[in-house]
Order: sequence, then C-alpha cells, then structure tokens
Amino acid sequence: MAADVTSKSATLIGAVAAAMALTALPLLVNAYIVSFVFALLIAFVIAQSWDWVNGLMGYLNLGHYAFYGIGGYAFALLLLQGTPLVPSFAAAVFFAALAAAVLSLPIFRLKGDYFAFATLTIVPLCELLASNLSGLTKGSEGVTLPPNYVLIPAYYIASALALATFATTLYLMRSRFGYAMRAIRNDEQVAEVSGIRLFPVKVITLALSAAFAGLAGAVQAWQFSFIDPYTMFNIGIALVPIASALLGGSGLLFGPLVGVVLLASLQQVLLVKLNMLQGAIYGLVIVLIGRFLPGGLLRWRAVADSAAFGSLSRESHFETPALQGGSRGDALPLRVEKIDRARVVLECRAATMAFGGNVAVREVSITIRQGEIVGLVGPNGSGKTTLFNLISGAYRPKSGKIFVDGFEISNFRADEIAGLGIGRTYQIPRPFGELTVRECIAVGRTFGRARASLFDAMQSAEVFARFVGLENRLETRADLLSLQEKKVLELARALACEPRLLLVDEVASGLSTVEVRKFVEHIREIRDRYGVTIIWVEHIFSALSQVVDRLVVLDGGSVIADAPLAEAMRDEKVLKTYLGHAPLEAK
Amino acid sequence: MSRAFMSIDILVQVVLSGLLLGGIYALVAFGLSLVYGVANILNIAHGTFLAISGVVASLIYGATGWHPLLIIPALVVPVFIFGYLFHAALLRPLASRGKHEETIGTVLITTGALIMLSDVAGVVAGTKQRNIPVRSEILEFGDIFVSVTQLWILAGIVALTIALHLYLKHAWFGRAVRAVTQDPLGAAICGVNASSARALTFAAGSGLVAVAGVLYAVVYPVDPYMGFSLTVRAFTIIIIGGIGNLAGTMVAGVMLGVAESLTAFYWAPKWAPVISVVLLLVILVVFPRGFGSWRRT
Amino acid sequence: MSLLKVENLSVFHGPLQALWDVNLMVAAGERAGLLGANGAGKSTTLGAIVGYYPALGGRILFEGEDISREPVAARLARGIGLVPEGRRLFTAMSVHENLEMGAYLKAPRRQLADTLASVFALFPVLREKAAQPAGALSGGQQQMVAIGRALMGKPRLLLLDEPFIGVAPLIVKEVMAALTAIAAQGVTILLVEQNIHRALEFVEHASVVENGRTVLSGARAALADDKSFGARFLGLE
Repeated sequence: MAADVTSKSATLIGAVAAAMALTALPLLVNAYIVSFVFALLIAFVIAQSWDWVNGLMGYLNLGHYAFYGIGGYAFALLLLQGTPLVPSFAAAVFFAALAAAVLSLPIFRLKGDYFAFATLTIVPLCELLASNLSGLTKGSEGVTLPPNYVLIPAYYIASALALATFATTLYLMRSRFGYAMRAIRNDEQVAEVSGIRLFPVKVITLALSAAFAGLAGAVQAWQFSFIDPYTMFNIGIALVPIASALLGGSGLLFGPLVGVVLLASLQQVLLVKLNMLQGAIYGLVIVLIGRFLPGGLLRWRAVADSAAFGSLSRESHFETPALQGGSRGDALPLRVEKIDRARVVLECRAATMAFGGNVAVREVSITIRQGEIVGLVGPNGSGKTTLFNLISGAYRPKSGKIFVDGFEISNFRADEIAGLGIGRTYQIPRPFGELTVRECIAVGRTFGRARASLFDAMQSAEVFARFVGLENRLETRADLLSLQEKKVLELARALACEPRLLLVDEVASGLSTVEVRKFVEHIREIRDRYGVTIIWVEHIFSALSQVVDRLVVLDGGSVIADAPLAEAMRDEKVLKTYLGHAPLEAK
Repeated sequence: MSRAFMSIDILVQVVLSGLLLGGIYALVAFGLSLVYGVANILNIAHGTFLAISGVVASLIYGATGWHPLLIIPALVVPVFIFGYLFHAALLRPLASRGKHEETIGTVLITTGALIMLSDVAGVVAGTKQRNIPVRSEILEFGDIFVSVTQLWILAGIVALTIALHLYLKHAWFGRAVRAVTQDPLGAAICGVNASSARALTFAAGSGLVAVAGVLYAVVYPVDPYMGFSLTVRAFTIIIIGGIGNLAGTMVAGVMLGVAESLTAFYWAPKWAPVISVVLLLVILVVFPRGFGSWRRT
Repeated sequence: MSLLKVENLSVFHGPLQALWDVNLMVAAGERAGLLGANGAGKSTTLGAIVGYYPALGGRILFEGEDISREPVAARLARGIGLVPEGRRLFTAMSVHENLEMGAYLKAPRRQLADTLASVFALFPVLREKAAQPAGALSGGQQQMVAIGRALMGKPRLLLLDEPFIGVAPLIVKEVMAALTAIAAQGVTILLVEQNIHRALEFVEHASVVENGRTVLSGARAALADDKSFGARFLGLE
C-alpha cells in the first residue's frame, strides 16, 4: 500500500534528520543549550524505556528510576576504581538489567495497584541501601568522579542512546515480541491461551528497559561527575519521567517524546522565572494530567484531530500488504487432520477442582475421541467453565489427571497446552481490545500451534476473518466491535492457533437465530473439513441439537449423564436437575 | 558488649518507645486502611498528609503555645474538609474510567499531591525538622524512665482505637463503611450511597492522619518531606494486619514499631526504615493478594 | 394499575448493549416471573429496575411514576427490594448485622425490631445463627439471609434473582414456602429463574426475555398450555 510506504520512509527521513540535527547541534549553540538538550535526551531515554513496560506490556512500574540510579552507581564506582570507560558503561547496563531480572521473579506475581506500589518502594529501598552501605557506595556523601569536562562526548553518547531507544520502540511496536507484549497488556490470560509464554516476555522487557535506564544513569553520572543517593533515588524526581510519558501519551510512538519535551521545557521556564515553588507547580501539572488526561495529550481529541499533530497521535498497527492472488482461496490454512474415530484426543480422569471449600468440578472423567462434537451442558454454576479452565491450563487440577493424546498435561502451563493444539474461546468475548481484528487473529496464528512468522500471520489473518465474516473489519480496533462481532472474533482467534481440540464456551446467547445457525455451520465445517474435535458449552439446546454427536451433562460439578443427545434428553436425572421436576410434556 | 547495652531495663525501655511509635503507625495505617478498603484508593500522599499536619501543628504550637489537645481539633476539621474536597474534585471522577487508567490516574494524582504539598510546606515552613516541645514529667520505675506525655499519647491511641472500633461496629454509618468494603453492590441495594461513603471515608482517613501528625510531632521531629516513608509503613501494616481489620492493624503497627525501635538501638538507626520496605516486598511476594481479612476480589 | 411497568428498556454495560427492548408489567399483589436463558438479560433488567445499572432508553414506572432517573436509595425508599444474583452478603459481618443493614434507610430503620422479628419468624434458623458471620453459613442459609435482608427494607415489590442457585434441593422447598408466605402478606414478587418448571410452580404471570428483548408474556395457565412455550424457552425445536 502506497500510504504505508510513505509513512515508513517518512519515519526513516525523520530519523536521519534527527540524527543529523543532534550531531550538528553542539557546533551551532552554546553549552547551556547543549546541556539542556542533554538532559532532555536522558529524560527521553528513561521515559521511553519505562513505557515499554507500561505502554506496551501494561505493567505500571513506578520503580523504573531505581534502574537509572543503579546504572549510575555501578558506573561511577567502577570508574573511580580505575576501570576504563567502556567496561564501566557496560557494567552499568549489566547491573541494571541484572537487578531487573532478579526483581522480576517476585514482582510479576503482583498485579495492578499492588505491582505499582511494590515497585514504587524499590526507589526508597535503593536510596536507603545506597546511604547505608557506605563501605560500598560512600554513603550519603555520594561519589565524586575526577572532574573532567565531558559534556560534548556525553552528549553524543546520549544522542546515540536516544536514537537507539527510539529505534527499539519502533522495532518493538512492529515485531513478534512486541505483539506478545501488547497481548499481555490487553489480556494476560488470553495471551497465554494463545500460546505466549508469559514470564520470559516479562523478564526480557523489564531487563531491556532497565538496561537503557541504567546506561542513561551512567552517562548522566559521567557528565555530572557526581552522584549521591538523594539525586539518584529521589522519590520526587523518580516519577517525573513517568509523568512525562503519561503526559504525552503512553503506548504511542511519539507519546513519551512529546511529553518529555513539554515537561522539560516547562521545568526550564520555571527554573528561570521562579526561585521557589517549582516543585509545587510540577506536582500540580502531574495532578492535572492524572485528572484530565488519562490517555495523554496526544490522545486528547483536540490534538488527535488536528492537522498539525494528528499524525503524532496515530496508534501503531501492523502494515500488511494485501494477499497475493494465489492464496485468496477460502480454505483456512490449517493442517487437515485425518479423523481417526478410535483415537482419544482428550481424557479427564477424576479431575477435581476446588476453590476454598467449594468443589467446582468433582471427579469428572470424560473421554473425547477425534472428530467428535460434544455438547457440554448443565445449569449455572455446574462447573462447565471451570472444566474448560482445567483443560486449557488456566487452573491446575487439585486431584485427578488430564491427558492429551495419552500425555499427561495436568501440570502444563496454558501456553504449553495451547502449543499441543488445544484452543478455546470465552463466553464473554475477550479480544485484545487495543489491537485490530487482523492483529488479534495474527497473535493466535504466530504464537499458537501454527507458529507462523508475524508477516505470514498478519496476511493469513484475512482468511480467518473472512471465514467468520469479519473481512470488512480487519483494520478495526477489536474493542470497537459489536458483541456479535467479538464473539466470532473469539472463534477466529482460537482457530488461528490451529487447534486439534477446540473448546467453545457459550456462543449462542446474545446472537440472533440466523447468527446462531451460521455459527452452527462454522462448527460443523471446522470439524468436517479440518478434522478439529470440538467441545461446546451451550445453553441453547436448539443450537447444540443441530450438530453434536454426544451430550455430557454436569450438575454440581459432577457428570450426571454422558450419552448421545436424544438419549440424554430422555434421561430422568438430566430432566430433573436441568429442566425441573417433570419431563417436558411439550411435543 | 557492655552490660548496660544488654540489660533488661534497656530492652524494656526500647520496647516501650517502640510501642509508642507503633501505636502512631497504627493510627496512620487505620486511615489508609479505611481509604483503601472503602474507596479503593491507594493514597501515596497519605503519609505526606501526616507530615504536613505535624509541621502545621508545630507552627501553631510555636505561634500560640496551645496545648496539643487543642491543636488536634483545630487541625482535624480543616484536614477533614480538605480530604473531602480532594476526593470529590480529583479522585471521584476516576471511577468512570477503565481499570488501568484508574490506577494510573490515582497514582499520578496522589503523587502529584505528594510533591506539591511537600514543596509548598517546605517553602512556607522551611525544610528543617521541627516538633512540639511539650514539657513533661518523667516517671521512674527502677531504671526505666517514662515520660507522662508519652503515656497519655499511648492511652489516647488506645482510646481512639476503641472508639473507632465501636463506631465501625455499631454506628449505622460505620457499618455502611464496612459493608461497602465487603460488597459494594450489596451495600448499594441496602440504600448506602457508596460514592458519598467513599468521599466521607477519605475525609475521615485524612482526619485520622492529622491526629496522628500532631501526636507524632509531640514525640518525634517532623519535616515536610518525610511523608512517603510513612505511607510505605502504613501500607506494610495494613497488608499484614488485613484491610479493614482494626485489631490486626494495631498489632501489626505495634510489631513494626517495636521492630524498628529494636533495630535502631541494637544495630543502627539508619537500618530501621529498611525493615518496613523489605517486609512489604517479602509479604507481597509470598502472599500476592495479601493476607488477613481480605476483601472479595 | 400495575405496580411496576417497564417500557422499552435499554441498558448498556460500558460500550456493550445488554438490553434492547424489555417490556414488563407486574400488577400489585402478583407473583410474576421473568424467565430466560443464561445471558438473556434477566439480571440486568432487575439491576436497572433497582437503579444499579442506568437505563439509557425507555421508562421504568413504579406506581405510575417514572423512577428511571432516580438513585438507588430513592427507589428502595419507594418500596423496591432486591435479592441479587450471587446473594452479595457482607460475608465478614454477622447474620444479625447483615439483616440490620437491610433496614439502612430511615423509614425501615424505625421499625427495625418488628421487621427483624418477622424475618426470624419466617426463617427460624437465622435466629440461631444470628451471631455467626454470614460467610460461614451454607448456601441455602445465605440465601435466606439475602431474602431476609431485602425484607428488612419493607419492600412492596421484591425482586429475586435466581434465588435457588447453590441451594440444596430440600432447602429449595423451604425457601419456596417462605416466598409463598411473603407473597401472602401482600408483597408483590418478581422472580427471575432459569428453571421454567420451578418458576411456573410459583408465578401467576411470566415474561420471557431473549437476547435483551421481551419475546413472550402471559398468565401461567396460558404459558403452561402453550405447547410451543417450553420448546421456545429452551430452544428445543
């Protein structure tokens, strides 16, 4: 597409121009301005690297500044001991990344507020350690480096670092790894069910962001030739880069950059115009951002719709060339399974799950053979969704075992189970809301069993979208879809993972009769044409009765019937618990 | 080690001062616990409210020489109103946003407030440490010395805790507050206006912190920038004691106070503040959802 | 005149529409039912009647007055009570405190002692368990607390959202008897249920919602005779 080519080359031209301007700057202006731009570059690196964790991956890390401080300290202490410059810089990167990796183990167990608060405490903890471990850090007096005038070389290093930061952001926004991050931000559980192994993504992202912040700290320490615990780990300063990124627009390519430039300029003005209360005004600005600009300036409608700045506000989505004519067929690019009715795809042996004292699934034993379509029914709270969660790895069974193809998977992670070819949809659709329909499907395609390259995944997403009737919504953000569209997107995403066994959780409620019929046809086609085995939880019998081979009925967490549809519907127990006291007279 | 360093008398003395410190910590934590439990707001500026209250109390004392018991009401009323307005103007509107944006908004607003309040107080009152130098008789029990003022403060904290407990247990509004903590929808269909309950709780939590601020300034020096470390302590305490659990919070507060006191005396004062941070991280990691009586998720 | 009338109600959950066009009429003193499959919009309808979900379109008339813009407390004060889905008890508070919370508003607060006595008379087991935390009770007993809490508000219209989920079969009978007794005292009841047979045992009149729209309504006799009703309701064709 022509538009994409222009936008790509515009980015390239912009980057080259920025690099040239940064190179030429010290020749043109005085040291005061150079040092201002230097501070700006450092602030940008901190803010942008922070935003990889928040804006892309969705974790509000309030302790990011600590990595900056750790980098600064590692560098300064090594340099002071006579270590050459380059290894000292390398050590800053190493120690900051190491600290992040070590911290990852505990802190990623936390979510939301708790994650934010726990990370925030890391900053004062580092300040205390830096002050108290005076043998190592020289305590609260700080570290003074031999005074060398290094503004210009430091400035060039900072420029290179800032450009590298921007390039990394660009890369992350368009790479497979970046899509794993964005999937995690949007819905961690669905990301895992789509085949993304969560922990490595989180550790690498945090370590990467720490490495950049650590190097920024080292360059700053080198330029300033003095650091102390207060400046490197000050809680008041620590949140400023974060506020900058949020002011501009977290998660947007230009968000942190715009925010840093604005806030740093404001700070300069305040420094010049005021000799007191700078902190108060600063704090006020942060309060106002929190209150009025939750998505940042660039997402503010007045800015996003303006001709001048609108292009800065654009969200980053994958630019996919159209499919070539050859692959335009309507066949889904799935490996076709030859159906062997004797083969057992899934077996649950006395699987049990309890929450506290409440047993949600009680010794459920079922066997699912290849090519079957099995209906799973039962009243509210009978354990259907919990059983799905057990099979797909969201929970581990408290007792009992689950086998796929004869391999026990009871203790597998959800992403491993997805890799074995178990796909699932959710009753309440859970699309990756900030991604487009194409991207949502592609995430399943590239991380699921198919393991397609990102490019192929983005292309073939179109075929899956067409299969469920979303071909005209490919470039629409998933959270803007209607409920019906979200439901079929669930199916498309799950299918793109290339499952051999598909768990479908309540689709028909909320759909019209025509839509339900269409959905039934999809289910039938997925089995007949591609050999996918299906378990379908559904309340609407008419939908099930058109397509299922067999009905498994749950009540109170136990299987009370497991028989062909007609037989199950005559079963006394089923009628009693599921439909009421007496069998239906209506006929 | 010298005999004096190891003696029982000294140990008792250190534990006593830890009790006092822990009691004040518990008061700070009550406020945060109410605010977090009911309004679901993690107020990062909570400790800063204490710091500012302490500084202002000390200024009032310097200017008027009023008895601290008189300063408390003079301070609590405006802080209560401030808390109410702060919540109504800044925090309440966040409720209509998505979860992630609400968290970000809360963090930004409360940290912004932290920076602003400290700076304004620093400019107005100066950054130096100050206190309320109330003269006090000293009681001697053998080799143990206890100031009468400190005993009164301890008694006051105990009385306040009991009053608060009785209020939450028996008063209609107190029960409504607990109900909102446990199940906001359940409370709403009983006729509780959750939104005003949240604003009033935020105000009351701030008022409690003002009381704690005055008491703190009588015993220890305060400055405008000490707030955040108190927020960390308060959060550690409610995570250990259980959100909305007053008895647990009191016990956890006292434990932390005594632990800090012992550390400061037998090791070094500079390591005392590390305890709460490390404890908090360890607890969060071992119990990612906290422990004690916990809200339903 | 009908006690409650819902006209063309539409409700959104965030950006998603949950109700399109719900119509409902409940006469004073009636035992009415609101039936439908999972996700059809039954709970949302009750939530909108009591004011927990804002109505975006349509009207909710209580005794002929439009209450659809009033806050929850005002609607409760008019005499509406809700036993919500999942009971929503204050699990760490005692049974006694839970019941008293039901009388939070001014008018019922004045008659607290009398109402409490009548609730204990209805569910004697709650008197024995009064001091225990509500969370420690069995499912059926918790349901009794939830019904009792709603009764403490002296409602004239009692909305019940699937009160039999997680209740042992024996206790279902007991709860059903209590509901009959409540209705006999003149309280109008609107029961939301998935189980049509159980519902039709109790209600005199029912409406069926499907995908956020009312698709059918009629008296019990008419519905029971309607050969297609059961089939339509379950989608058994």
